[in-house]
Amino acid sequence: MLPLSLLRTAQNHPMLVELKNGETYNGHLVSCDNWMNINLREVICTSRDGDKFWRMPECYIRGSTIKYLRIPDEVIDMVKEETIVKNRGREQKSGRGGGGGGDRQNQRNRPAARGNFGGRGGSKPGGQGGRNPPFQKKKQ
Amino acid sequence: MNKPELEGTAHLLDELDKKLMVLLRDGRTLIGYLRSVDQFANLVLHKAIERIHVGKEYGDIPRGVFIVRGENVVLLGEIDKEKEDNLPLTEVTVDDILDAQRKEQEEKQEQQKLVTKALKERGLQLMGDLMTHDDMF
Repeated sequence: MLPLSLLRTAQNHPMLVELKNGETYNGHLVSCDNWMNINLREVICTSRDGDKFWRMPECYIRGSTIKYLRIPDEVIDMVKEETIVKNRGREQKSGRGGGGGGDRQNQRNRPAARGNFGGRGGSKPGGQGGRNPPFQKKKQ
Repeated sequence: MNKPELEGTAHLLDELDKKLMVLLRDGRTLIGYLRSVDQFANLVLHKAIERIHVGKEYGDIPRGVFIVRGENVVLLGEIDKEKEDNLPLTEVTVDDILDAQRKEQEEKQEQQKLVTKALKERGLQLMGDLMTHDDMF
């Protein structure tokens, strides 16, 4: 699980982002991309010295200005579960399609890709993902 | 069991799941278990703490999970479990170490003011901007 995949898993979770200049942004992760650019919602920005605060409904942070992100512990556990579930799915699928012959490579890859997209769709607000909505409720 | 030496970032793969100390460019020290790495040396640190040193004292602040952007890392290394148990340093509470850190920073600032003043009297002007973190981009 790569660092950026973990970040993607952390969508809809609260997190703290510290920029290189020392400012920190607390908010819920809405989305992120391969450059670590992120969108946050319900943000509280804190100045470098921790003496000034700003509230904003949403904000965009360019990935290159980030020093680090702190995410909740449970996100790592979610990743572990997800990998186990995914592997299990893959075993079953490849077991069934095993005798396919020439097209076998493609068949094996497809279920995994679908799994990825399913996960991402579910974590978007309003999506019908199985795992994320309960978390969201608990947090708010 | 002679593995071929990995180069560059690939070296970090050897450190997976080990307890590492990571020094950031802003001078902070993080200690945690390395769970993941990518080609930019972005790191995932699990069960991380921030360790603050002042003189011979140190304090640990629990921080949880970090995703550190690789470019902010100065150095990292595995923590020797045996040496960790007999450090020549004393652990103090978080509050105490934060107090000590604040005092140390104030003293440094005072010192800096004196230096600036002395230089100014001799016709030299220190660039104030150089003392901030804004040039770290």
